[in-house]
Amino acid sequence: MKSLTFRDMERLSAYLDGQLSPSEKTHLEKSIQSDQAFAIALEEIRQTRTLLRRMPKRRVPRNFTLTPRMAGIRPPVPRAVPVLSWASAMAMLLFIFTLGANLFGKLSFGASAPMMAAAPSGIGGGPMAATQAPALAAPATAAPAQLRSDQTAQGTPTPEVFTMLAPAVATPVTNPVTQPPATLKGQPRPLNPWLIFWPGLAIFLSSLALLIWGLNQFAFRRKNRRR
Amino acid sequence: MDETALIQEAQHGSLDAFNSLVLAYQDTLYNTALRILNDEDLAADAVQEAFLSAFRALNSYRGGSFRAWLLRTVTNACYDELRRRKRRPTTPLEPETADGDEIESPGWLTDPNASPEESLDQAELEHAIQHCLENLPTDFRAVVVLADIQGLDYTEVSVAVKKPLGTVKSRLARARLRLRECLQGFRELLPAAFRLEEESSV
Repeated sequence: MKSLTFRDMERLSAYLDGQLSPSEKTHLEKSIQSDQAFAIALEEIRQTRTLLRRMPKRRVPRNFTLTPRMAGIRPPVPRAVPVLSWASAMAMLLFIFTLGANLFGKLSFGASAPMMAAAPSGIGGGPMAATQAPALAAPATAAPAQLRSDQTAQGTPTPEVFTMLAPAVATPVTNPVTQPPATLKGQPRPLNPWLIFWPGLAIFLSSLALLIWGLNQFAFRRKNRRR
Repeated sequence: MDETALIQEAQHGSLDAFNSLVLAYQDTLYNTALRILNDEDLAADAVQEAFLSAFRALNSYRGGSFRAWLLRTVTNACYDELRRRKRRPTTPLEPETADGDEIESPGWLTDPNASPEESLDQAELEHAIQHCLENLPTDFRAVVVLADIQGLDYTEVSVAVKKPLGTVKSRLARARLRLRECLQGFRELLPAAFRLEEESSV
C-alpha cells in the first residue's frame, strides 16, 4: 500500500465524476485493483460526495421575480412627448424672435411703424378678419394708402406682422366687405391678435416645457428613491 | 415555451419571459447561495441581486448552459457578500450560550416528511456538513457546492466560477478531501452504511 499523493487523489476525484481520459481511466483502474489505498481513498471520496448530494434542498422563502420598477423599466411614454420635448427650444426661439423683432423694429424700422399700425386696424375692422386668413389680405391692400397719412400712429411694429402681411401686399386682393374705415383718428385702436399670438405661443410652450421638466424630475426622483 | 425562446424574448426586454426563467431557476440559485453563505436572509438578498444583475447583463449571455451563467451571477453576489462580511465582522449567525458555544437550531432545518428522530439526525448531519463547508476557503466551497450539491458538470462549474477546467478539478478534489477530514469529527452523525464502510476501511 503506497501513500497517495494529492495528484492521485485528484485523479480519483475526477475518475468518480467520469472526467478522466480513457487511457488515464484504464491506468487508474489498474491501481485501484492492485493497491488497497487507492480503493479506500476512492470510497472515501465517493461517500463524501454522496453525503453532499443528499443535502436537502430548501424551498425559496419568496419568489424572486423582478417588477418593472426593480428592473428600471419606465412605463411607455406618450407619443407626443418626443415632439413636446422640443417645446423649450421652440419657446426660446420664439421668445428671442419676438424680443429681437420688437427691439429691431423700434430701432431700425421706425418709419414703417405706420404701416404696421394700419394693418392691425384693418384686421380689427373687418368682420371676419381676426379669424380668417383671406381677410388678412384685404386690409393689407388698404394699408399702403394710409402709410403717409398715419405716420404718427401709435403701436409698436413687429416684423412678424410685417412678414405675415408682406405676401398679401404683393398679391392685391380687394374685398369690399372687409374694407377698413378710411380713417382711424378718434377711434380706439383695436387689439392686434398677432401681437398677442406670438408671445402667447411662447408662454404656452414655455409652460409646456416647464411641465415636461417637472414630470421628468418627478420620475427621476422616484427612480432614485427605488435604488 | 422552451428555455431558448424565453432567453431570446428576455434579451429583447421582455420582463415576463425573464420572470419565467427566474421561477425555473430560483430554487437552484437560492440553495447555492444558502450553502455558500449559510444564512437565509443573505442568501435571499444575493439571489435577488443576482437575478437583477442577470437581467441587466442578459445580452452578454452568448449561449451555453444558462444555468451555469446564472449561477455565476449568484456566485459573484455571494463572493461580494463574503467580502463585505470580512470587512465588517458581525455577530455569529447561530445564537450562542453563555459559554460562547453555538446553539444549534433544529427548527431551522426541520423536514416535515421525516420522523422526529430522523429529522433531528438529518438536521444535525446537515448542520455538520454546513459547518465543514464553512471551514473551506470560499473558492473551494463554491466549487464543491456547485459540483456536488447542485450536480453541475465540470464545464458548467468552470463557467460558473470563471476558472479553467484544471483549476475546477483540483479545487474540487481538495475540497472533497478537506470535507472528508472535517466530517470525521461528526462520525456518530453519519449514516450507518457510511460508518460501517469507514470502519472496515480503517
